[in-house]
Amino acid sequence: MMPNEALRFPNGTTIAIAAILVTMPWILPSLTLACEIVVVSTGALSCTLLLGSVGLLSFGQGLYFGLGAYVCATLIRDFGMTALPATITAVVAGGLLAAIAGLLIVRRQGVYFVMLTLAFAQMGFFLALAFPKLTGGENGFGNVPRTTVAFGQLPLSHPIVLYALLALLCFVAFALVQRIIASPFGTVLNSIRQNESRSEALGYDVRRFKLAAVTIAGGLAALAGAMNTLMLSFVPLSAVDVETSERLLIAALIGGVGSPLGALVGASVLSAMSDFLSPIWPRWSTIVAVLLIVTVLFLRDGLLGLGRLLGGAVRSER
Amino acid sequence: MRTRREILAAAAVGVAAPALLRQAWAQQDAIEVGSLVSLSGTFANIGEQVDIGSKVAFEYYKTAAGKPLRYVQLDDQGDPGRAVRLTQDAMRDRGIRFFMNCTNSAIALAVAKEAASGGGVYINQAGADEMTGSLCNKNTFRWPVATYSAVNTTVRPFMKQFPDAKKWYTITGQYVFGDSLLKNLKDVLGEVGGQHIGNSYHSLSDREYSGFITAAIAAQPDVLCICNFGSQTIDVLRQAVSFGMKRNTKILVVWSTGLDQFQSLGPDICEGVYFGANYWHGVDAPGNRLLTGVIKAKLKVTPSYLLTAGWACTQATVEALNKAGTTDVPAVIKAFEGLSYEGPTGLEKVRAEDHQVLKDYYLLLGKPKARMRDKDDYVDVVSAEKAFLSPDKTGCKL
Amino acid sequence: MSAQVLLFGALNGIGIGMIYFILSVGLTMIFGLMQFVNFAHGAFYMVSAYAAFAIAQWTGSVLPAFLISPLLAAAFALVSERVLLQRTYSLPHEAQILITFALAILAQESVTMIFGTSGKNVPVPDLFSGVVVLGGFVYPSYRLFVVAVAAAVAVLMWIAIERTRFGAMVRAAAENAEMVGLLGFDSRKVFMAAFAFGGGLAGLAGALAAPLRGVEPLMGREALAIAFVVVILGGLGSFSGALLAALLIGITQSLMSMIWPGGAHLMIYGVMTLILAFRPTGLMGRS
Repeated sequence: MMPNEALRFPNGTTIAIAAILVTMPWILPSLTLACEIVVVSTGALSCTLLLGSVGLLSFGQGLYFGLGAYVCATLIRDFGMTALPATITAVVAGGLLAAIAGLLIVRRQGVYFVMLTLAFAQMGFFLALAFPKLTGGENGFGNVPRTTVAFGQLPLSHPIVLYALLALLCFVAFALVQRIIASPFGTVLNSIRQNESRSEALGYDVRRFKLAAVTIAGGLAALAGAMNTLMLSFVPLSAVDVETSERLLIAALIGGVGSPLGALVGASVLSAMSDFLSPIWPRWSTIVAVLLIVTVLFLRDGLLGLGRLLGGAVRSER
Repeated sequence: MRTRREILAAAAVGVAAPALLRQAWAQQDAIEVGSLVSLSGTFANIGEQVDIGSKVAFEYYKTAAGKPLRYVQLDDQGDPGRAVRLTQDAMRDRGIRFFMNCTNSAIALAVAKEAASGGGVYINQAGADEMTGSLCNKNTFRWPVATYSAVNTTVRPFMKQFPDAKKWYTITGQYVFGDSLLKNLKDVLGEVGGQHIGNSYHSLSDREYSGFITAAIAAQPDVLCICNFGSQTIDVLRQAVSFGMKRNTKILVVWSTGLDQFQSLGPDICEGVYFGANYWHGVDAPGNRLLTGVIKAKLKVTPSYLLTAGWACTQATVEALNKAGTTDVPAVIKAFEGLSYEGPTGLEKVRAEDHQVLKDYYLLLGKPKARMRDKDDYVDVVSAEKAFLSPDKTGCKL
Repeated sequence: MSAQVLLFGALNGIGIGMIYFILSVGLTMIFGLMQFVNFAHGAFYMVSAYAAFAIAQWTGSVLPAFLISPLLAAAFALVSERVLLQRTYSLPHEAQILITFALAILAQESVTMIFGTSGKNVPVPDLFSGVVVLGGFVYPSYRLFVVAVAAAVAVLMWIAIERTRFGAMVRAAAENAEMVGLLGFDSRKVFMAAFAFGGGLAGLAGALAAPLRGVEPLMGREALAIAFVVVILGGLGSFSGALLAALLIGITQSLMSMIWPGGAHLMIYGVMTLILAFRPTGLMGRS
């Protein structure tokens, strides 16, 4: 890993993330692809935080993503809120739900932890389906007006404004995660990941640290969900299904969970692949599956790690 | 130093490669039509067929309003969010104004809104009543009938034939579409003197229906009415028949997709079961003769509902463009309103008040294997009727 | 709702439960033996169901598939274990989950490539095409056949686990995974056998289910979700727990479908959550 660099904030990665966010709209063929990458990477970041710094595998971040999406949509459509306050409320709601669910979830480790996240995500899906008056059921939550960023200023109907807001929120999320990793709190999380019983022996209340991490990750996923609502003006039922959870997790994994930048790389690759490969080959998920296997078996740091590896090889040849 | 390499790595794998694939769009003279189909994901089985049907129609019609037509396939992967994105891109970056098709109602409702806000024209195959009801808009049209029509054109002719079949039991999908079917069914039963003796709700993710079916059998109904859609329809019917329900109960499937479902069920299960459907290839109508002829010549298959749905939305768009004689959106919308043409179900007419295509809906009866004239001749057409809510009752304000 | 209806519901629930049991028992066995969480369990089920469809197409009857398909699924499981899964034994459980998850996607996409995206019907074998009437209660004879097969599997497995040396090891391993080595078994062979056997059982469930519900690419996902619920309720690794949980879920599903079907899923996952949080050894396990 990169103990020294990672523990500084802001560091080179911060600048890299900012640079990518700024350049994407110019490099990518479509602005909406850039928007989607920004949203998915924010959601994937919640998996990166859990897996990369505490070693917790969550198959259920879609629950908070969906909650954030529905809360944001409801506040904008039914309560006339603007984007920023609605998003902030959604993040708080996601964090709260994650804290409550987390009380149960962090009681368990390993596969039991994974299964609990999965069970919660399933309950969320069936709840969304059971209350179509609140969620629109299988037809989705529609008719969310394109609001403004805040105080009636900067309309989101302008695509550049929308991207700028999403990119800014995304950057704040990344900076926050970097800040957390670099803090003493992050150091404890890292020691829990490396050796849970030793951390416990050192006197840390492991469950409380995990609960804090789960809460923050829930807030992040809800942020991504709210951003998704701002992007689409609409919440599909699929926002809260298990496949969303899987997608965020896959993005985090193939990017590499060793650094927050991995979430951005993974989301970019996954979203770009689905944009460019699906018209050519509908069975493109095969490639995702192979990538996932390769990542888990050979590239613990994902594509980001591969990039570093190749970069290193080129350097040493010189 | 790491930073620079990280940027390079990210650029190499994630960002630059797609940029290289960027294509230059030209062909200003052609009319590009965006087709929202799901080729991967959960709805791929629907999207594939709709896609083929539309493509065949494009090859057949070739031009509209005096300009060449170009089919632009937009794979939404079954995800409404993705459909919205693709529509926005197509409008913003490629100037596409005409859109069609969908594989589920959520996609159609989401794309309809984009079409309205971006000034496009969209015709789709959504099942949701909201499409030409509370969520209708000036820019969107819908080809299949609403649940009100499906229920009225199946239950009424059925009751005419079996006035003694009073006791109805329903198995309903507990989602918005299933609930609309059920509500309409209760209304119609109330009017024709039927009695709704019970209902079992199943959820969108149920796969095992024997519990609902035992409950239905225990209620001893005259008619079992299935109110859901897609593969769940097939599963409920298959399991109901396996529990011997055909022996002393009549079965009515209000909303089926016809041929493709019959093929996955097989003739033994279909025999004696009543199905409601938006299309049947055996119907004698000029538009249908044309369609079945072209599909048979090109694909060597009998057109299913899904193929036809892809064809029908293309045909309606072409007819409207030809009538308008221009690609100017307000003119095309005006041409659409009140448009009538020989479609796959006979004379089809677009209602101006709610943008619903007024067309026949069929009540079909599965026939015994011995009486099938060819491998796709699964049913007899019992009735073909039009029944639509009056525009002031749909809740649609254009 | 009369008592008779409830009785029918319960009887039908036992039928559903027996199908769920053969679907899940392989998953719990693999976990018990090697603490391995297999997200590809549903894929074994699906591949076998598709094999049954192909066999029914070629031979005109699905009957031979009840023998051949489980063997194919076992072979598929064995090959997966040798080529892919054994590489993860030294990795954390999370890695095993992810690899088997990816394997499940691969299987689903491959099957779609070969057989297409739309569902296919598998006709019920002529031998069992009728219904059995038991005092006003109608039950398809094919379902009765499936329940009988499942019951036979349960009895055979019970004998194997209670009476054989291999069974003793399985029981010991469920308590403590290191027992495999301590009892003098070659863990490599045991793991191969576990995957072949677990995959074969999932395959048997898939082949038997094919005439009940047809085949389609997403069926593996659904099967996996059910199997996980059963296995967790019963306690990961517990054979009798899986049987009890499968029956409980079958009966719950059958009865809830008469009362509040939308709530059946919520209830099942709610109970699953509570069990995981407060009693992770499941209904049967000792906490």
